Amino acid sequence: MKKKLIALFFLNFLFLTWSCTDLDEEILDETNASGLTDKQAADGILAPVYARLPDVFLHTAYFAIQEITTDEAILPYRGGTDWGDNGIYIELHKHTYTSTNANVRNTWNVVLQGISRAITAINSLPSLNDPSVNTYIAEARGMRAYYSMLTLDLFGLVFVKDDLGATSKILRGTEAFNYVRDEFLAVEPQLDPSVGPGRLSKGAVWGLLARLYLNGAVYRAPYSATFAFPQEDMDKVIEYCDKIIGSNLYTLSRDYFSIFNDENHTNKELIFAVDQRADLNGHNRLAYFSLSGDQFPLPAFPAANGTDGPGITSDFYQTWAQAYAPADPSVDPRFYQQNLSIYSNPADSCVDGASFRINRGILRGQQYGLIRRNGVFLKCADGKFKVGPLFHDTRNKPTLAVDFTERIDFTVEGSNYNTGYRVEKYEFSKKSASGRNFGEADIVIVRLADIYLMRAEAKLRKSGDAASALADVNTVRASRNLTTPPPALTSMSLDLLYRERGFEFYWEMLRRTDMIRFGKYEGTWTEKDNTDKNKRVFPIPQTAIDGASNIPGYLVQNPGY
Amino acid sequence: MMKILFLNLHFIKYIKNSLIRGICLLWIFMPGRAWAHAALPSETDVLAWVVKGRVTDANTSEPLIGCTVQIKGSGQGVVTDFNGDYSIDVQDQNAVLVFNYIGYQEIEEPVNGRTEINITMSQSVSELSQVVVIGYGSATKKDMTGAVKSLKAAEFNKGIINSPEQLLQGKVAGVNVTSASGEPGSIQSITIRGPGGVRSGSTPLFVVDGVALDNSSTGGATNPLNFLNPQDIESIDVLKDASATAIYGARGANGVVLITTKRGKAGTSILNYSGSAGLSTMANPLEVFSADQYRIEVPKVGGVLEDLGADTDWQKEISRRALTHNHNLSLSGGADKLTYYGSLGLQSQEGILRKSQLNRYTGRININQKFLDDRLDLDLNLNATNTFNYRPPIGALIGGAISANPTYPAYDAQGNPYRYAAGTNPLITLNLEKDVTTINRVLGNISPSLRITKNLRYKLNFGIDNSTSARDIQSLANAVPQQDGRLETVNIYNRNKLIENYFTYTLTKTDYNLSAVVGHSYQKIFLQGRATSINKFPISNIEPQYNPGLGQELTLANNKPTGYAIVNELQSYFSRVNFQFLDKYLVTATVRADGSSKFGENNKYGVFPSFSVGWRLNEEPFFESLPFSEFKLRAGWGQTGNQEIPSKITQPLFTSQVSASTSYPLANTGPYPAGTSYSRLANPDIQWEVSTQTDIGLDFGLFNGALAGAIDYFNKKSGKILLEVIPADPVQPAGTVWTNVADMTVTNSGLELDLQYRKTLTRGLSYYLGGNITFIQNNVENSPYTVIPSGSASGSGLTSATINGYVNGNPIGTFFLKEYIGLDDKGLSRFRDVDQDGIITDKDRVALGSALPKQMFNLNGGFSWKAFDFSANLNGVSGNKVYDNTANSNFYKLRLSKGINTTAEAIAEPKESINNSAPVSSRYLKDGSFVRLNNLSLGYQINTEKLGIRKWVSALRVSLTGENLLLWTKYDGYDPEVNTDRNINGVNSYGIDYLSYPKAKSFIFSLNLTL
Repeated sequence: MKKKLIALFFLNFLFLTWSCTDLDEEILDETNASGLTDKQAADGILAPVYARLPDVFLHTAYFAIQEITTDEAILPYRGGTDWGDNGIYIELHKHTYTSTNANVRNTWNVVLQGISRAITAINSLPSLNDPSVNTYIAEARGMRAYYSMLTLDLFGLVFVKDDLGATSKILRGTEAFNYVRDEFLAVEPQLDPSVGPGRLSKGAVWGLLARLYLNGAVYRAPYSATFAFPQEDMDKVIEYCDKIIGSNLYTLSRDYFSIFNDENHTNKELIFAVDQRADLNGHNRLAYFSLSGDQFPLPAFPAANGTDGPGITSDFYQTWAQAYAPADPSVDPRFYQQNLSIYSNPADSCVDGASFRINRGILRGQQYGLIRRNGVFLKCADGKFKVGPLFHDTRNKPTLAVDFTERIDFTVEGSNYNTGYRVEKYEFSKKSASGRNFGEADIVIVRLADIYLMRAEAKLRKSGDAASALADVNTVRASRNLTTPPPALTSMSLDLLYRERGFEFYWEMLRRTDMIRFGKYEGTWTEKDNTDKNKRVFPIPQTAIDGASNIPGYLVQNPGY
Repeated sequence: MMKILFLNLHFIKYIKNSLIRGICLLWIFMPGRAWAHAALPSETDVLAWVVKGRVTDANTSEPLIGCTVQIKGSGQGVVTDFNGDYSIDVQDQNAVLVFNYIGYQEIEEPVNGRTEINITMSQSVSELSQVVVIGYGSATKKDMTGAVKSLKAAEFNKGIINSPEQLLQGKVAGVNVTSASGEPGSIQSITIRGPGGVRSGSTPLFVVDGVALDNSSTGGATNPLNFLNPQDIESIDVLKDASATAIYGARGANGVVLITTKRGKAGTSILNYSGSAGLSTMANPLEVFSADQYRIEVPKVGGVLEDLGADTDWQKEISRRALTHNHNLSLSGGADKLTYYGSLGLQSQEGILRKSQLNRYTGRININQKFLDDRLDLDLNLNATNTFNYRPPIGALIGGAISANPTYPAYDAQGNPYRYAAGTNPLITLNLEKDVTTINRVLGNISPSLRITKNLRYKLNFGIDNSTSARDIQSLANAVPQQDGRLETVNIYNRNKLIENYFTYTLTKTDYNLSAVVGHSYQKIFLQGRATSINKFPISNIEPQYNPGLGQELTLANNKPTGYAIVNELQSYFSRVNFQFLDKYLVTATVRADGSSKFGENNKYGVFPSFSVGWRLNEEPFFESLPFSEFKLRAGWGQTGNQEIPSKITQPLFTSQVSASTSYPLANTGPYPAGTSYSRLANPDIQWEVSTQTDIGLDFGLFNGALAGAIDYFNKKSGKILLEVIPADPVQPAGTVWTNVADMTVTNSGLELDLQYRKTLTRGLSYYLGGNITFIQNNVENSPYTVIPSGSASGSGLTSATINGYVNGNPIGTFFLKEYIGLDDKGLSRFRDVDQDGIITDKDRVALGSALPKQMFNLNGGFSWKAFDFSANLNGVSGNKVYDNTANSNFYKLRLSKGINTTAEAIAEPKESINNSAPVSSRYLKDGSFVRLNNLSLGYQINTEKLGIRKWVSALRVSLTGENLLLWTKYDGYDPEVNTDRNINGVNSYGIDYLSYPKAKSFIFSLNLTL
């Protein structure tokens, strides 16, 4: 009996446990948003569309491919130990980049993800019932057009799809241009004029349309020997610039560097920008990238330094030097702003922590700053911070001064830690504990000065109206009048306008596009002698080509790669 | 090295298993007695007389010397003397003497009132009668048709052992065990017959006493299998080919390792204590310049010599002579209805780097009880382990030590670590940073088995494997160098439940035997992890880990808690039939249907069949004249799967959270919206990787089994390779999607040879010699990808370079690099311009060999003479390369010219410019072949009879083991056996050495005592 009971017990156990599972996967740690109001849901769908922007505007993404490929920035293998990175920065500058370049791939990945998020938003927002929805849909669609404009500019193509599950249609040339244009035009009426600069406003789309038309000739036929800029395009540029200027929503900033300060979100010159917040999405890479590893800009953070990244080429520097000779280019307040008086008054070697600010603009020669020993900053007897000439201590070169030279190139001497004039345009975020994180400044995408200079260019290109162009350029120059403004120019030409764009927008990630439009990209400058026109358009990353290999003929590599 | 030898008590534990010791056990078995503890003689049956006799070898008639002759139950026993004679008091005329001599067939001899019993013993053909655990059952070696290797405890590697993989290293052909580094308890990467995929998840399935483990990390940086006390392990069976592993279906593709722990034996009661103490030192320090050399070399390369006058060996400063001690107490025994094994173990291991420590406390109880006239048989196994791991900041410590100026003093006049301006003294870092993990793991299972009819048995197996871990990563606040202090705490919880039901049907007839298994298995695995952190601790004596509340800063950007939780379910139906005809024709067929919650909606279940045959030719008449005791041909084919893929990849993911990459300010003020983003693409078609394996093998035994071996040819082709790939249309919410790559295959094929020779000579001398060799080739085919990169380089200036790259026609683990071809006239590096376009780009990378060895070999041997025994174990690999990322980022001329210390490698090229940079290239790709004398052991069996303590101590053995004594290699890093994990998106890296924890050389003194 007992045996039978036990046997029964086990058989029972058997059948109990035999009961099958359906093997449905249970998800425990991933949220599906629920219980949200329509407004919250709409916010939650729109925010991710913009949220890719800080990563697009990284030093190792869009910045690298828009600036290091040009005469504005060069990044050698520093001292043979830093920024070697498998040669990716050298190949960008020499125009020998290939489809495996990590900077190109990084940019591609985030921009395309932005497009995909926009498609998701365009599809999901209409089901929500909130007054903001129409504007949001327009913003999402407008952002898809903006991201597409980036792929058109960088890779010569756009991906068109409305249904996330479908396979995108790939357009190039005129079709691609038209697609971006039509998308912007379609959303423009629904956009809110007052949501900028962090979001896509009416003004932002006007600015982007002006930029699109200005580059229309390039986008339609990127490999042309010369670009013929159609009058209609130029009329459109002027039309949209006029709209912005006439809207009176934006003002040129009197203080040039305040456009790039931590608090620039309220600067009226900004039309469209990446809204960075230290406690959410901000990075300080644009401010830290070029500084020396022995420059410590923040008394509060002895771990926050630079990295001896890129400097400007001597060719670019010479455009400044020659423009202002015999005066020093620092007569232009856009070139340089001294914040530490020790540079002009060597006796002032003790600085109160609260008022310590490093200099801005293009940094040349011996640098001064906080002196770090054994992980702490030296102090004066009165408790203030000691400031003095800097040396490459962190590079194990304590006798090599942080003395930035005009020369910077890929030779051994030109690659040393101290070579090249550096750029500190964005303020080094006061919250950046590591120097890399917690950026605060909005990163400019479109600002009013660009509108003036685009209008000037369009006028020149359309009808050679140098007088109007000169007026626009000088309006911008004269506006920087917190200190002595740069002197007014007396004549105007495309070459002078190109030079002026360099002065006004250096390191603002416009240079490659400008160089191509002005026919300068195949020129030669420091370490760059490749004249291959195919390099105007970047290669599609090899990873994407490989990924698409199962659909023959779908994603075709750009010519020359 | 052998300056101090520690003598510690260490009991004989593995008497039965020692092949070389030659201990003869004489058991007295008393029929009718139920309980062993009742086997003490009672007053009434005292009728003692002396039985004498001689034990000799049946073939040579030589006396068998040093045999322990024991009266079991009473604890009485003797050892045969140099003439093989014994003399023992017997108290029961019905007693049965059981002669049990390792390497010889056991003999049971009833006393029947005799006073002289001479015994001749034959060497057992033990290989054939050896029982092999095969998953849901066991079989004798001679009936096996699959490629299986069984290792008993005596054959295990000796030394300081943390995990079962180390016991196996080199012992099984086709099995490659590589420790990631020399850190105590470090991750061991183990592959059986090569990696079948490009991702992680090529680890075999481990099954402990019938419970399939999950290979997930249990927390910290150590191997999750460290929880098993090696001293509790009775045997390890490695299932290699598909015909053996198909019973584990979707988890069999990487091979299966079955671990069986020790059990008690009816009629015995053994108390065993073993203790050992070992001393370890850094085996091969890097030869960086000494202070004197540095003073000469730095100015020579144009550097500015900063000479503070000291002579510091920084590697010595950060390392130490480390002590490991191990104590084990086990008791085992039982009667015919109940047997038990219980043990407590403690291992406290110091790492050779200062402050590096691994402590393990284990407890185990294994019980077997029979009920209902032995119809019901119940096994209960319970293991509990506590592991404590203290890790110093290893990379910073080693990186600091090999580059620090040797003329700097290590300490200042006050005895504090010397502060130098350039860089940080690694000893300061050592004091400020720590990483401590405590893991508790309990594994238990209960498996009743009921004999329903004579031929039919039902078995239930219910197991639970539960672990929790807490890891604290702590930085102390400090003034100089200034840092704020931080505490990060990570908690991990793993739960693994298994329930299995199966029936076994056995039919034994004169001409044939049949055995069949059919069953069902259900397993549920739950994994959870959580991490929190807090910043800005004040400078104080209180460590943040003891009072996290002292932290002053908690921000969402800096201290956002993170976590994950995953549930996986597996459900399987399995069946196996073994058929044996005339003891010479063998057939095995297996099928398992596996379902996993990880698989897509359209592919929930997979079916994994296998079929194999064996032919024992030695049983055929035409083989009679040949000297083979065994000659078995085997052939098998089967399919197995690999379901070790991330969870949830078949499901889409919408997350809604405030994070840098998903949220964005939509207003000037106020909280940020939780961004709802679609971050993973669903792929409902996802399924397991399938590996199809063919194995042809030959098992042979010669000279009555003295020479035994096996040869296996295998071909394992893995398809439906799982990869995280970029979709054709790049406009996707997530950049990648998991998929089974169509047509892509990874093939492992090779030849394994295993040989073992044993010989007993006259005068108590016996020896053995054995070894194995594996020739293996791995090949990737039909990959649609130009290159699948892995192995991201480390070190300044090397970011974004990759070291490994898997391309068609080359193996996994391939190094895909620019080829260094010497220096130009300016002393700068030149690289081969493969595509001849005049510039060196990524397109000039070529496949330059693989980290996977082409040959692996092991040689072991030993002898015993009277009470002495000796064994040695050599193992090695060849045909592989190692990428010396440490040298790449540290040892080049430019650094030396900056006063950073290097090895002589930096000045090997006199022509080299001091400004030459060192990008990732074949220049730092080095030959990884090596031969290691990894074990040398000398033991002595103390005659307790002569000491007069026989009554108290039945066996006493002392031994000295040397571990990692010699290493022959061209590699000039710490050790060529290294594998720093530098995976990219889950694609495994292989053979990269970057600031790896150096390996130790150890001497261990042990003393074993058995009551």
